[in-house]
Amino acid sequence: MLAYVARRFVYAVPIVLSVALVCFLLVHITPGDPLVAVLPADASQELAAQLRTAYGFDRPLPVQFGLWLWKAVHGDLGNSIATGRPVLSEVIRAVANTVTLAVVAAVIGFTLGLFFGIVAGYFRNTWIDKVATSVAIAGVSLPHYWLGMVLVIIFSVQLNWLPAVGAGPGGSGEWKWDWAHLSYLVLPAITTSVIPMGIVTRTVRALTGDILSQDFVEALRAKGLSETHVFRHVIKNAAPTALAVMGLQLGYMLGGSILIETVFSWPGSGLLLNSAIFQRDLPLLQGTILVLALFFVFLNLMVDIAQASIDPRIKRG
Amino acid sequence: MHTIKSATQEPATAVKGTASLRSPVIVRRTASLRSPMALAMMAVAASFVLAQAAVAETVVRIGMTAADIPRTLGQPDQGFEGNRFTGLTMYDALTGWDLSSSDKASVVVPGLATEWAVNPDDKTKWVFKLRPGVKFHDGSPFNADAVVWNVEKVLKQDAPQFDASQVGVTASRMPTLASARKIDDLTVELSTKEPDSFLPINLTNLFMASPSKWQKLYESAPGADAKAKSQAAWAAFAADASGTGPWKMSKFTPRERLEVVKNPEYWDKARVPKVDRMVMLPMPEANARTAALLSGQVDWIEAPAPDAVPQLKQRGFTIYSNEQPHVWPWQFSRIEGSPWNDIRVRKAANLCVDREGMKDGLLAGLMVPATGTFEPGHPWRGKPTFEIKYDKAAAQKLMQEAGYGPSKKLTVKTQTSASGSGQMQPLPMNEYLQQALAECYFDVQLDVIEWNTLFTNWRRGAKDPSANGAHATNVTYAAMDPFFAMVRFLQSSMAPPVSNNWGFINDPKFDALVKKARETFDPKERDAALAELHAASVDDAAFLYVAHDVGPRAMTAKIKGLVQPKSWFVDFSTMSMTP
Amino acid sequence: MTVITESVLQAAPVTKTRGYWGTVGRRILRDKVSLICACVLIAIFLSALFAPWLGLADPYQGSMIRRLRPIGTPNYPLGSDELGRDMLARLIYGGRLSLIIGILPVVFAFMIGTVLGIVAGYVGGKLNTAIMRTVDVFFAFPSVLLAIAISGALGAGIVNSIVSLTIVFVPQITRVAESVTTGVRNMDFVDAARASGAGALTIMRVHILGNVLGPIFVYSTGLISVSMILAAGLSFLGLGTKPPEPEWGLMLNTLRTAIYVNPWVAALPGVMIFAVSICFNLLSDGLRSAMDIRE
Repeated sequence: MLAYVARRFVYAVPIVLSVALVCFLLVHITPGDPLVAVLPADASQELAAQLRTAYGFDRPLPVQFGLWLWKAVHGDLGNSIATGRPVLSEVIRAVANTVTLAVVAAVIGFTLGLFFGIVAGYFRNTWIDKVATSVAIAGVSLPHYWLGMVLVIIFSVQLNWLPAVGAGPGGSGEWKWDWAHLSYLVLPAITTSVIPMGIVTRTVRALTGDILSQDFVEALRAKGLSETHVFRHVIKNAAPTALAVMGLQLGYMLGGSILIETVFSWPGSGLLLNSAIFQRDLPLLQGTILVLALFFVFLNLMVDIAQASIDPRIKRG
Repeated sequence: MHTIKSATQEPATAVKGTASLRSPVIVRRTASLRSPMALAMMAVAASFVLAQAAVAETVVRIGMTAADIPRTLGQPDQGFEGNRFTGLTMYDALTGWDLSSSDKASVVVPGLATEWAVNPDDKTKWVFKLRPGVKFHDGSPFNADAVVWNVEKVLKQDAPQFDASQVGVTASRMPTLASARKIDDLTVELSTKEPDSFLPINLTNLFMASPSKWQKLYESAPGADAKAKSQAAWAAFAADASGTGPWKMSKFTPRERLEVVKNPEYWDKARVPKVDRMVMLPMPEANARTAALLSGQVDWIEAPAPDAVPQLKQRGFTIYSNEQPHVWPWQFSRIEGSPWNDIRVRKAANLCVDREGMKDGLLAGLMVPATGTFEPGHPWRGKPTFEIKYDKAAAQKLMQEAGYGPSKKLTVKTQTSASGSGQMQPLPMNEYLQQALAECYFDVQLDVIEWNTLFTNWRRGAKDPSANGAHATNVTYAAMDPFFAMVRFLQSSMAPPVSNNWGFINDPKFDALVKKARETFDPKERDAALAELHAASVDDAAFLYVAHDVGPRAMTAKIKGLVQPKSWFVDFSTMSMTP
Repeated sequence: MTVITESVLQAAPVTKTRGYWGTVGRRILRDKVSLICACVLIAIFLSALFAPWLGLADPYQGSMIRRLRPIGTPNYPLGSDELGRDMLARLIYGGRLSLIIGILPVVFAFMIGTVLGIVAGYVGGKLNTAIMRTVDVFFAFPSVLLAIAISGALGAGIVNSIVSLTIVFVPQITRVAESVTTGVRNMDFVDAARASGAGALTIMRVHILGNVLGPIFVYSTGLISVSMILAAGLSFLGLGTKPPEPEWGLMLNTLRTAIYVNPWVAALPGVMIFAVSICFNLLSDGLRSAMDIRE
């Protein structure tokens, strides 16, 4: 097992390097002035040239990449152009907020997804199954940002039950796990959980259904094994794939909540990315993408290892 | 019943209505037992209530349109909204704006400088007398050294406090300032590259940050070399700022919220804030802002979604708006072959637009029709003879004289964007112009491009391929300062790539008037010269003047005493918040 | 990661005859849900395609005094938008761009990904490593993040939005294609073909393609709904279509503030995205069970 874990880690190194390169290229192939955030369009040309040198944007791209990578390896992602603050601290704060949102959304989405999925799998082709699959398919087909807007109008503007935007009465810096703060999380978390809920339901339903229709279950039942035992078998066999799907979904939620965070002004990585894109803040943009991608690589690694420890057959892969 | 009734009245006046009414009621009911014990309890309780009233903070929470909190280190980004929220609140400049009236034009008034004058022998040297007894929030004194230090933070490249990131937004707003020199503790000499009577107006954009606070942060800052330490010191200063302004920084969560508290020691006693605390939240999305106000998360939002205005009013919110120094124009190309070179055509376009119809039909009343860059009452308005109004018959006549008619339409192309800062509602407004001008034999083609591209093209000029053959560009501008309001568009030397004379206007009359205004140093006479320049530009129909923005904001009716001046800015000191 | 695609999608029956496709067709026709979805989609397709001949109002021509009319106003069956343009016309015309930017990326990714995957799976060795490791790099980005990052880098616009979504989907389809190809590659009939002296290209085209196309196709149809939502999301963020083009995501964005005046009209583009997306999802499910591909 240890050897497997080590192999996976070594295998991740070139991926991480390539990811860094892709991040850098993605940001630098962009046309447009990287200094737009600090340089008004009516600034003079000397001023523009002076600032370009001050920020090092006049150097050749490979040099810029090398410097950036060298610093990144040492834990320094540079400073944001628009705010002057270190990129790393900005990204870490934002990612922490996104993790808060993603974890709560995952709890909601995975619980409901597992429940609907197992129930639907057990009662395949009954009305229960139909209801559960309808909910699931609606979940994966909804434009979730739109759902978020609708929820705000209903629950914040019309009913005044829940806050519409932001991360707590005092900002995310004072986050606590009490109702005053959690109320800010309700709408964005529900909105975020819709897609994972749908996907987990569909996966688990299929898995459960397949396992239940296999011969060995018949055999177990024929041997007089109790339904609890059968259920345990189902769980055991469905776990690796379900786990993988859930891990992947968690990763998507961490990196992909930009639309929801924009709708709810949730100060996470997505909102940070959004403002980095629109302010053309290159150091912030490439730093955020890099950190999120590394997070995703790491999460995938964890999922692989967790799967392998449950199901030894995978190790050979 | 009787005791309760009287009780609700008495303590209410005692605590001036700041504490909730419920607790005094209970107090008096206990008192009605008329035992010594109860009286003692009452005294304790009453003092508690009063103490609570004393500490009960009044807070105003504001939703800004900015996507991020404007920079807090003294020179804000995010344009004039930045100056409004993180500049003028925590800092002062040598000169400031009069924001006390909603009717009169907002003019430059003394700030941290009490008086100033140009050297009569060398018109590039100015002497500024500083206000005595002013202290930064950290307690250090404001003096001539501080002014020199703040000038050098953006102009002297080898100064330790020089910060490239602040240069862009500052230097471009003070194009002629060159250096500063201390004469004595309360006197500074500022030098310009060329004689420039606009300097005192430009200086409203240079905010005074505390040098001693920065120095302390610099000494403890991490960093391999002086440059890295300086950067780290500025980052630390931004998180714990110190200026001289009426508000002090209290709490700062990057990208989420900025809290400022009132500065009771502010030098202008008339402008010590009445509200204890002000919270600013970035909410770039109009809908999210409106939702936040409607759900009670904030007390005040900038620029509510126009479509939400009726619902906001119906729910008891107050809408404030006033004419702003802002112009929504078509800036004409005057290069060879442009149809706008004919003054009859320019005048016809100006006469052909029903601006009142646009205001009511399109913008829910949220605009002021433009009859020039400045409206009557403004010191720089002057007396133009060409009256800009809606007169379709006159416009058609001018067009016919110019050789156009129903069967011979004049095709003009205008570049615009679908969105953008200050652009108001560019597409509907341009489509409105398209329809209106069609009545006067114009065939208007719109070239809709992205806002940033439009803004960049502005600097490249009408001859550049990026103009895509357009005869006019539709970039709105702020008109606070004579350079930005007029000079950069009208002076021939401001043609691209130098500045924003996009259409290459080349009129010796304008050039002479600009020179005269720049070199007239008596403020009254300078204003008269600027008025002359403005009148000349209107008479020349140099732009298609369409609208002024009105800076709409919506807030709860609990905010009282706010004055919305004819400015991009607002004085937050005058408002009070009733609980 | 590799495990998921393998177990989620296994190439089921390997030898497919004309009779097999006939069975699939018959099964689909018996599946009421799929049938309804197909009809809805065809209706939306055809109306978008023939929009100019449907006697609709001009989707670009607005009238400011008739803005934000409610559903059911005479001449405005579905109301009017924030510029007073007919919503029905804009929704139908909007289908053109929305479907194009939703479907084209999947089509392109299907073509590119299938070729890459089959080549990688059949040739194996170094080429496989090169292709699959590159794919792995793109898998290191969550898809929404990747799409937004690429669009942000390329700038707003229809073409850029299609390009960015294509880049997002190519690795996913390549991985599925590679996985099913590897499964088929060592089957007896391929060995037989090889033994009879057939060239690699011929084997890939004749023997492999026919057997792997089904699962890849089904997987791709499932991506269309994701693509529709993402494409509309890009426009919603201002990274896709630009005004005044009618497109559902953009309409959703520009109608946002109208939600206070006329929430039903403002919700319509969202309903369209939802409807198309759910139909593609159900159809993909129907196809999958008709072709008997295990999830």
